[in-house]
Amino acid sequence: METNRLSNGLRALPRRDRALLIGMTAVALLALALGVGFGAFTAFLRAGFAQADPVTGYRAMTGHGVAAFFYWLYFAQAVAMLAIAAVHCRDVPALAQSWLGWSGFAFMTAGLAASLAGTWAGTPMLYDGSPEVVGEERAAAAVFYLGYLLLGAGLFLVALCLIATALAGKAERGGRAWSALGFGVAAWAGLVMVSGIGIANAFLPAALWAVGAVDAPGDHSGAWHLLFHNLHYLPLMGVVLVWYALVREMTGVVSIFGDRFSKLAFACYLVFVPPTSLYHMFLEPGLAPAVRVFGSLLSLFIGMPTVAVFLVIVVSLEAYARARGARGPFGWLGTLPWAEPAMSAIGMAVVNLAFGGVLAFVLIQERLAPLLSDTFFVPGYFHFLTIGTVTLSLLGALARLIPPLCGRAPAGRRLLAALPYVLTAGVAAFGIAGVAAGVQGMPRRVLDVAYDGAAPASWQALSRFVGAGAAIAAAALLAYVLVLARSLAAGAAPAGAEAPRPPAAQAAPAALVMRQSAWTGPLSVLTLVAAMYAATYAAVALMRALPIAGAGGGH
Amino acid sequence: MSEDTGLIAVVGGVWTLLAILYATVPMLDMPGSVTIWGGGAVLFLALAAVLGLTERRSAGRG
Repeated sequence: METNRLSNGLRALPRRDRALLIGMTAVALLALALGVGFGAFTAFLRAGFAQADPVTGYRAMTGHGVAAFFYWLYFAQAVAMLAIAAVHCRDVPALAQSWLGWSGFAFMTAGLAASLAGTWAGTPMLYDGSPEVVGEERAAAAVFYLGYLLLGAGLFLVALCLIATALAGKAERGGRAWSALGFGVAAWAGLVMVSGIGIANAFLPAALWAVGAVDAPGDHSGAWHLLFHNLHYLPLMGVVLVWYALVREMTGVVSIFGDRFSKLAFACYLVFVPPTSLYHMFLEPGLAPAVRVFGSLLSLFIGMPTVAVFLVIVVSLEAYARARGARGPFGWLGTLPWAEPAMSAIGMAVVNLAFGGVLAFVLIQERLAPLLSDTFFVPGYFHFLTIGTVTLSLLGALARLIPPLCGRAPAGRRLLAALPYVLTAGVAAFGIAGVAAGVQGMPRRVLDVAYDGAAPASWQALSRFVGAGAAIAAAALLAYVLVLARSLAAGAAPAGAEAPRPPAAQAAPAALVMRQSAWTGPLSVLTLVAAMYAATYAAVALMRALPIAGAGGGH
Repeated sequence: MSEDTGLIAVVGGVWTLLAILYATVPMLDMPGSVTIWGGGAVLFLALAAVLGLTERRSAGRG
C-alpha cells in the first residue's frame, strides 16, 4: 500500500514544473477570490443586504460566473491534472513539453484579464456572452470574447502538455498500459481539447461580429448550449480523478476492481457526453415530442460514470478497512483520516454531490425543465455541484498539493479540515432556500425580486436565506483562499526542509480484502435513487399547487 | 492494440456515429453540433492512432 506518492513526486519535480504549478495555483486562487466576492455581492443585492445600481449589480453577476465557473475551475483542474500526470505517468516525475503548459498558462491568464476587463468596461452580458445584449458597446464585448478565446487556446495547450506527458510515460515503460489515473488524465485532456473547440465555435463568430468583420452570429444560443454541456461534464470528471488520486495518496487504498474497470468508468464520461446533450434542447419549441422523451431517457445516463467511480472508491475503502479490522455497519468510516483537509473536503463533497445530483434529476425531466429552467431552482441546485462538490474537492486537492510544491509543512491544517463543514452549511442554506424559491417561480438573474411589491412575499424572505447562505459559504471560501495563499506566498523552503509525511496505512492481504462484504456504497446509491423519486414527486406536487406557467430560455 | 488505444478508439467511433446522426436527422434539430462532435471524433481517433503508434514503437525498442 503506497501512500504519499503524489506528495513525494511533487517534491522531486523539476524546478520549472514546480514553478508552473505554483503560478497556476496563485492565479486559480485569485480567480476564486474574485468570483466569490462578486457572487456574494450579487446575493447580498438580491437579499437587500447591499445596494447598487443595476449595471453594477449585473457586472458583479457576470464577473462571478466568469471568474468562478470559467477561470477558477479550469486553472484549479489544470493544476491537479498536471500534478497527477507528472507523478503518476512518469518514472521520474516531470512534465513533458512543459513549454506547452507554460504557454497555456500565459494564454489563460491573459484570458482572465481580458474577460474581466470586458465585463467592467462594457455592457454586462452574463457569462454566456450573448451578442443580443451587447448594444452599442461592441469594443468592450470584443475584449470580453477575446478573453474566452484565449482561455480556450490556453486549455488546448495545457491539454496537449498532459497528453505529451502521458505519452512520454507510456514510451518510457515500453508501451505498457497506463494506470487508471494515467488513462483518466489523458481522457480528461481529450475532452478539454473538444471544449477548446467548443469555446471557439461559440465565441469566435461573436468576436468577429464585435469587431465588425462579419454579421451577427445566427445561433449563438445553440453553440453556447453545446459548450455548456461539455463544461458540465469536465469538472465532474476532473473531480472523480482528484478523488481517485487523493484517496490513494492518503490511505494507500487502490481499486479492488482493478485498473481496467476504472478506465471503463472514465471512458464512459466521454461516451455519454454527445448523446446526453439532447436534454439542453428541451426548451426548443420545435423539438419533436418523441425526441424529448428519448432525450429524457438518455439524460438518465449523465450520472452513471460518477456513480461508478464513487462505488469503486467507497467499496474499495470499506473492503480494505474491514480487512484491517473495522467493525460495525459504519465503523469503517471512522478509520479514514478525517483530520486530513483533503479527506474532510472529499467527504463533504460527496454529501453535496448527493444533494445536487437529486435536484439535477428533477430539473432534467422534460416536463419539469420548462417550468424550472429560468427560476432560482437552477442556481440553487448547481451551487451544490459547482461549489459544494467541485470547488471543495479542488480546494482539498490544493491543500494537499501546495505543501510538497513549496517544500514546507502544511499550514493551518485544523482550520482547513474544518472549513468543508462550514462551507457545506452555507451551500445548504443557499441551495435549499434557492430551490424553494425556484419551485415558487422566483426568477434567476434578477436582482430586485420584490417587483415593486407585486411579487409573493416569500420570494424576499427566501432571498434573505439565500444571502445568509452565500455569506457563510463566501466566508469559508475566502478563509480557504487566505490560508492556501499564505502557504504559497511563503515560497519554496530552504534546501533540506521537509514537510512531514503521515504514516502509511497498515497493509491488508489482498485475499482477505476480497472476502469482505462492502455494502455502504451500493446502499448509498439505492438511497440516492429513492431520494430522486421523492424529490421529483415533491416538486411536481408543489408546482401543481402553484399558479405558475413556464416559458424557459435555457441555462 | 492495448486497452488504452481500444477505449479511446471506441470513444472516437461513438462520437463519429453521433456526429453523423445529429448532422443528418432533422428531427434532432442539432445540425450545428457537427463541429463539436465531429471535431471531437477526429481528435479522439487521432489520439488513438498516436497511442497505437507510441505503443508499437516503444514495444519495438523494448
